[in-house]
Parts: sequence; structure tokens; C-alpha cells
Amino acid sequence: MKTCTKCGVNEVIIEKKHSGQRLCKDCFIQGTQQKVLKDIRHYKLIDKGDKVMVALSGGKDSVMVLDILNFLYEKNIIDMSTVTIDEGIKGYREDGVKIAKTHAKRLGIEHTVVNFKDSFDTTLDDIMASNSQRGACTYCGVFRRWILNREARKIGASKIATGHNLDDETQAILMNYLEGNIENLTRIGPKTISRSEMFTVKIKPLREIPEREVGLYVIARELEVHLAGCPYSSDSFRGEVGQFIKQLSRNHPTIMYSTLRGFDKLKPAIKYEFAREFNMGECISCGEPAAHEMCRACIFSNELDQNKRSL
Amino acid sequence: MKYTLIIGDVKESKDIKKGITINHILEEIDLPLETVVVKKNGRIVIEEEEISHGDVIEIIRVIYGG
Repeated sequence: MKTCTKCGVNEVIIEKKHSGQRLCKDCFIQGTQQKVLKDIRHYKLIDKGDKVMVALSGGKDSVMVLDILNFLYEKNIIDMSTVTIDEGIKGYREDGVKIAKTHAKRLGIEHTVVNFKDSFDTTLDDIMASNSQRGACTYCGVFRRWILNREARKIGASKIATGHNLDDETQAILMNYLEGNIENLTRIGPKTISRSEMFTVKIKPLREIPEREVGLYVIARELEVHLAGCPYSSDSFRGEVGQFIKQLSRNHPTIMYSTLRGFDKLKPAIKYEFAREFNMGECISCGEPAAHEMCRACIFSNELDQNKRSL
Repeated sequence: MKYTLIIGDVKESKDIKKGITINHILEEIDLPLETVVVKKNGRIVIEEEEISHGDVIEIIRVIYGG
């Protein structure tokens, strides 16, 4: 029988192929928490006194972020609040919203639900049912970022924490490279700081935690999470790239780590060569920061209105 | 000799073949280990765990679309 390489207990719950480590439940939970807190310090993601707004979908990733940042909140190192975005995906989003509310209430943390309908007078279901020109993830990503940024300013948050994990990050690196979006690559990293003060700094505390370990963590910690897949995600290019990386990882278990490490080494050079200096202004329609006359959320919103009128 | 397999809301009784492990079940139902967490009798186990008569195996999908 295999035993935990840390404490010798024989109830092993994970065998990490990339490191050879075998861990029992307690050592896995403790080791994962320590790794995330170490990354927070190493990448200087959080400063004492920060107000961190967690983008809490109720899924495994954001619930894990909340669970670990709560250690800092309980020690009065940070203030914390949570926001859940309801995109309007019938039969999918309701459970996540309910779970997010339960966690925020359990921890005594401020929680707000913001929906697409109130913000953009449409839902993701309506967008996808119309003759929309772009993929669901494109609309969703732009609208969600708009809401998160606006909400962060509204509540005075100094950081927005998202649940992006190692799989998400390597997918983003590969996707942007394969599509030739080199400028987008310059914005990938543990911490995103914009030149515009109207954009709140975004942090990714789980950037070096594989997605499966995020799932294992929430189950080992017995945290309630929403574990269904978004009905629109399978159509995306990200989904295809994700599948490709998972297939590669079976015979090459270190591939996601080496992709990330290699990218982090290259990034200063890519940034030096390709980062564009935007003069951030304000969107003439909503007042949010925009590199052009209008922000992308308003451009998309106008497109959708025009589509509606042409039907 | 039987064990119970639970995947989501579906629960079924299955026959045990000699020396069957979690790995064999995952191969049979075509779910990659990298996308699931498996419990045996309520305890999280690794893929090499053997299954015996009366065991309850719960497969929890933690990754979708990958």
C-alpha cells in the first residue's frame, strides 16, 4: 500500500506525476494552501490593507480562492468582498449563484450579484439565440470584465481576485500564440496592472495550481461547489486547446508547468517588443476606461442592438 | 460479487471482475483520471485502489470540456 511521502499515513489521495509526491488528505490540503500563500507573497499579489474583491461564481476555482484568502481576511491582513455575475444562462447559473451566496454568508463577507440583464439589457442565452457574430466566450468575457471592474471601483476594492488556474493560464498562452495574438500575450501573468487608474489590479492566486488539484482540494475540504460545465464552453477554441494540453499531459506530466515557466521567462522580451502604449480615455457611452472612442462592452452592446432591430 | 457505481445522479450495481481497480472503471466508462476525483466508500482514493464486494464507488467530474 502506498503511503504519504510527507507523513507516512497510508491513505493517499493524490500521486503527483510531475513531482513523484504522494499525499494524504491533510498533507495535500496543507501543502496546497501553503503553495498558494507562497505564490501570493512571491508575486506580491496582495499588500497588507488591500480590499480584495473575489469574483465568486460558486465554481470550484473561485470557491478555493475564497477559502484560501479567508485566512488573510481572518487575520485582518486584508478586507474582502465578493461579487457573482449572473450571465443569464438558464439551468446553469442559478446553482452557482446560490452556492456563492451561501459561502459569503457562512464567512460573513459582503456579497453582490450583478446580472447581464441589468447591465446590458440582455442575457447570454438571448445573445446566443440571436444572430450574434461572435462566440459566447467573447461576449461573456468582455461583459464580465466590464462588470467586475465597475463593481470593484464601486466598492473601493484595490484588487480583483479570480480563480484562474494552471490549466487556464497555459490554455491562454497557447491559444494566443497559435492565433498570433502576441499583444494579448503581454497581458498574461499573475498580476495585471493597467496604466489607467480606472482599472483595478487583477490577481490570480491559483495560477500555479493544476485544475484537477483545485477540484481535489474543494472535495477534500468538503466545500460546496457548482461542478457543472458551461453549456457554451464546448464550442470554444479554448476548449479544443484545453483538450490538446490534457492529452499531452498524460505522457508529459510537467508540460503545463514548463509551458508557464518558459512563457514567464519570455514575457519581458515579448512585452518590450510588443506591448502597445494605449492612451486610455473614457468610453463616450458608459464612461468606463477605453483605448478608443468606445469600450468593447459598448461596441458589442451596440452591435447586439442593431442585430435586434434588423430582425 | 457486486459494487455500486455512482456518477452524478446515476447509481448502478455492477459485477466485479477479479483485481479490478479504479483505473479499470475509468477506462471502461472513458473518463480520463485528470478530469475526476474518485471516492471509495466516502473516502478519496487514487487510481490504483482495488475494488471489493459491497464497495460504493463515486466518480465526481471536476473538469468539464477538457
